[in-house]
Amino acid sequence: MKIKDGFVIRQVGGEHVVVPVGERSKEFHGMINMNKTGAFLWNFFSQSHTLEEGVDALCGEYNVEKDVAETDVKRFLDVLQRNGFIE
Amino acid sequence: MQPQETQKLKIEDVLREKGVYVGPTVGISMLPMLKNRRDTIVVRPKTARLQPLDVALYKRGDDYVLHRVLSLTDGGYIIRGDNCYANENVPEDTVIGVLTEFFRKDKHILCTDEKYLKYVNKRLKSYKTRRFFVRIKNKIVGIIRKIIKPFRKKKAKTVDR
Repeated sequence: MKIKDGFVIRQVGGEHVVVPVGERSKEFHGMINMNKTGAFLWNFFSQSHTLEEGVDALCGEYNVEKDVAETDVKRFLDVLQRNGFIE
Repeated sequence: MQPQETQKLKIEDVLREKGVYVGPTVGISMLPMLKNRRDTIVVRPKTARLQPLDVALYKRGDDYVLHRVLSLTDGGYIIRGDNCYANENVPEDTVIGVLTEFFRKDKHILCTDEKYLKYVNKRLKSYKTRRFFVRIKNKIVGIIRKIIKPFRKKKAKTVDR
């Protein structure tokens, strides 16, 4: 699973905002706000990874239970998928 | 953790609801500072009258324009893009926000940064010189067009036959 190219993540006033650049900014006019964990997952899935790898990465980074991490990663990817951000 | 997306946003709504708008740049009027669809702007709502050198975000019909304030008038501002050669008289009530920071490629720049302010002053000081050379360039281009116009017409007629 991989997030489409053409987005950058900016930290503004403690918040993380995903912004489209280049050709992508012609088709996407929104603003995506996310917290630190969301930004971590966004960066992680900017490269191609499996769901399991995402869960392991989140557990490693934030020291959370595996089932909690799995729920979070699934929900995160589900939102991205529904909004067409996944390749 | 979940991303909150706002599709087809109205920047004035985002400013009202979130207090900040972060988005891509579109257009070439603020070159060389902001490059089309590469850089990111951070705009916050206008809380007081803007001051010269501030970069205002205002509405021109349904379009959003981000240009620099040159001076204040009774009911608004005289505004011009860094890469433009005509001033605009912009009413106060069309100005919805002010640029507070931006990202040039990945470099984060605050609009209070000393280096940035030096750039702004330099850009404004060089305006007359730049305008002089742009006018000369435009005249040369105009003359060249006049010279080659008959040849172009002739070529077009030949193709028609």
